[in-house]
Amino acid sequence: MRRGAWPAVLLTLSSLVAIGPFVVMLVVALSPGNAPTIPYRLPTSLTLDNLAEVLSTGSFLRWTANTVIYSVVSVVAVLLSSSMAAYVLARKRFAGREVLLWSMLSTMMVPFQALLMPSLVVIAYLGWSDTYWGLIVPTLANAQAVLLLRQFIRALPDEVFDAARVDGAGDWRVYLSIVLPLCRPVLATLAVFVFLWHWNDFLWPLVVGHSDSMRTLTVGLSTLESGNLTAAELMSAATITGLPCLLVFVVLQRHLTKTISFTGAGG
Amino acid sequence: MARRRESLTVLVFLLPVLVLFALFRFLPMLGAVGLSVSDYHPGGGSRFVGAANFRSLAHDEIFLSSLSTTLGYVAVYVPLTVAVALSTAVLLHAVPWGRGLFRAALFAPYATSLVLSGVVWRWVLEPTGFLQHPSLVLPTLAVVGVWKGFGYAMLVLFAGIRNVPADCLEAAKVDGASAWQRFRHVLLPALRPAVFFVVVVETMAAFQVFDTVYVMTGGGPVRASYTLAYAVYDYGFRYFDVGGAAAIGVALWAIVLLVSLTQRRAFERNP
Repeated sequence: MRRGAWPAVLLTLSSLVAIGPFVVMLVVALSPGNAPTIPYRLPTSLTLDNLAEVLSTGSFLRWTANTVIYSVVSVVAVLLSSSMAAYVLARKRFAGREVLLWSMLSTMMVPFQALLMPSLVVIAYLGWSDTYWGLIVPTLANAQAVLLLRQFIRALPDEVFDAARVDGAGDWRVYLSIVLPLCRPVLATLAVFVFLWHWNDFLWPLVVGHSDSMRTLTVGLSTLESGNLTAAELMSAATITGLPCLLVFVVLQRHLTKTISFTGAGG
Repeated sequence: MARRRESLTVLVFLLPVLVLFALFRFLPMLGAVGLSVSDYHPGGGSRFVGAANFRSLAHDEIFLSSLSTTLGYVAVYVPLTVAVALSTAVLLHAVPWGRGLFRAALFAPYATSLVLSGVVWRWVLEPTGFLQHPSLVLPTLAVVGVWKGFGYAMLVLFAGIRNVPADCLEAAKVDGASAWQRFRHVLLPALRPAVFFVVVVETMAAFQVFDTVYVMTGGGPVRASYTLAYAVYDYGFRYFDVGGAAAIGVALWAIVLLVSLTQRRAFERNP
């Protein structure tokens, strides 16, 4: 046998197991009517009717909009706030810097469930229950983003910053015209990760909104009972929930896998 | 004057993150402890009750069974994730072609949500009865979790393997070491830091398993998949026992800390 044939065979099998469920999901979602699907029989024709049907029923469109708002606003806000903090944490000496870094690091070791109840009390005090503010703002405290950006900014050559100083650039100028442009690759990768984390987030959106109109796609999908829907409708709902992530992934996977390999970020 | 302006700038740059962390991380961290020793009622005030919540948890059969259920899940999920991740990483390293394609396919489930995996797998598994069987449900959930999440560990380990100097492996090969011996005595020792990182991260994740439980089983059948994270949700939002839910959350926190410290020691002790 040729060298490397066995690894290739095993990897092919594992890859089939990895993407098999998505293929099943897509095929069932695109199957017309009540085509028998267990055991999985390939349909003779494909249709987009189920997807359109699901999108037009109930609050599905609203849930989709909520998810887009939740993910996109979070990406922008996390990148901005984290990069600002990361800049001074990487480039300035000030009292309490180490304490701040360590306390941020420590929040990564706290299971989110421990913070669930007290976070909701904070939200209630702020009057943010069942609002976009309550949904979005608490998830913006992202230690991983700050620490990753700080690590990157710290590794930038000192000369760039010294030269800017000599030219008389203030901190805002340095941040806007040096830090942000130089950080573009990390910011791009981080943007994708924050997008995926928020798009796929479940527990927080589940508990923070009680009204149907505040649900995100993951929460909405979890409320769909397989008993009340045809398999094609259920898998269509799953497809709408997952397809954006899979597309983002297919387009950017090289980038993402490289980042995880280098930094371990993305957990 | 310049110094004051300088520290003002630092403050301004830090302000958004400081406020976010103060309100939504540090305050809740204190609040978690505070709530766990109170009998908080939404809108009804609260009273300090000392360790009463924890004492009642110690006699609470539901909590105790959720504790052992969670440990059972961790015991299946973590070794399985590391084993699958390590073997696929080694295979990826060994395969001469199509590496990028395999890597992408294996990592794809990681990009989607646990809810989505849960819904799709629930539907696929429905006819098998696995989810209705009390002794099969937990391993089944763990396998779904592994399917969804091993790609991350695989990438970290794959990066570790690539950092092992090729000379070492080559030298071992010339000395007549078999593939298994090369793996056991050259690769594995070099991978220790990566394996440690993966074990800690995945243990944290396993202790917090919630989404798949919520979607696939609701803790059942007969509480066979009722995990600690699910108990926090259940106590808080079904029984409206905020103090109890907070106490379980704090217990979960303490367990996770204890376990990661133990893991660190274990990895430091045996070189």
